[in-house]
Amino acid sequence: MIGQRLKEFEAREVERILGACTQCGQCYEACPMVRYSKAPAAKGEAVVPGVLAVLRGEPGTAEALGWIAVCTRSGVCVPACPEKVDPRMMMRLARMTALGGRGAPKQIEPKEDRDYYDRVRAFARLQLTDDELKEWTR
Amino acid sequence: MSERVTFWYGCNVLRHGDILHACLDVLRALDFEPMPAGGPDYCCGTGKDANQTAAGGMASRTVGRFNAREARVVAWCPSCHSHMHDFMGHESERRFAMTYFVELLHARREELARLFVHRVPMRVMLHQHVGFNDLVPVNRMVPELLSLIPGVEVRSAGYVAPGYMCASFNAVPKALDDIHAGTVRAARNAGAEAVVTTFHQCYRELVGLDAAGAVPVYNYMHLVARAMGLEYEDEYKAWKRAGEGATELIGAARIAQVGVQFYERAILPELKKRPRLP
Repeated sequence: MIGQRLKEFEAREVERILGACTQCGQCYEACPMVRYSKAPAAKGEAVVPGVLAVLRGEPGTAEALGWIAVCTRSGVCVPACPEKVDPRMMMRLARMTALGGRGAPKQIEPKEDRDYYDRVRAFARLQLTDDELKEWTR
Repeated sequence: MSERVTFWYGCNVLRHGDILHACLDVLRALDFEPMPAGGPDYCCGTGKDANQTAAGGMASRTVGRFNAREARVVAWCPSCHSHMHDFMGHESERRFAMTYFVELLHARREELARLFVHRVPMRVMLHQHVGFNDLVPVNRMVPELLSLIPGVEVRSAGYVAPGYMCASFNAVPKALDDIHAGTVRAARNAGAEAVVTTFHQCYRELVGLDAAGAVPVYNYMHLVARAMGLEYEDEYKAWKRAGEGATELIGAARIAQVGVQFYERAILPELKKRPRLP
């Protein structure tokens, strides 16, 4: 089945993270993006349980969903985690889950760009020769 | 004997044919035989967080095609490189080595320096992000490469943006505004004449600062190309600077190839877009 092995890997990672995270919140407090969240919190320990809930396919809190929506993979959270959970992976999987990508109900709206691939193809056509298009993109 | 490598350039760098051509020339000059591969048919799937079935299909297809080539993959795009590292290799067994383009240039920097035969007199500040550096330390490597170019002086102002590249901030526009403002401020504080980006995704966003007259912006490959005497025109920058006038620069024949309506809806607005500066 298409994507089955990827989904199995993601499920294993979710289980690992749920088992390893102590919800101390140090990942949140190290994150340079929390100030852009729609629902920032003073303490990370108040936010991380909501992220883990999202990973379990449960509704996330406003604070958790606000953080998930602004994660841009800075990775500052990774060395901040005392349990070596890999919070960047935690947040990426939470984002996939909250967007509905892993089968659970959608909790945040994706920023869709319906022209994304057509725009890439168009710029390629504007910049490359026919031979380059044929040899480089197919 | 030259080594055949797959040069996996990604998707969005197709806006920058000059960067692609320069990368291929550099690889050939370093005695590689590059096989370019990119665009939607070689998508990594990193943009498909909302559809992991699609992401898995893309990973399976792209990894399978690279396996069939039986050659090392040299990746240009940081998103593709990290997605292969974090996810794609778990969908399909990967039977090829991976090297990030900056890593390759850095490993061959002594030979590269001998190719830098033209002076590029410029004081520059590297635009940096905190992310990606645990996978490839680009914030250290790129300044070291730039310092090999005669005439280039790399200045630091200590400003490091969040995230790992600018394009991912389209969903957080206030943060992108702050990055634009922080980059201009840092360049001025550093006494830099220009900002240089590592990634094309940052170049695409920051070249708007150039178009707005705030600070000249380049990708590091533009400086590498100049030092080697490569003369590819940066058409994207010319179009961006021209804004509405890009239509005339591109010309009716090329626009007809992509469709006038599509050009006006999906291309021209990007070329006219300018950063919000305080």
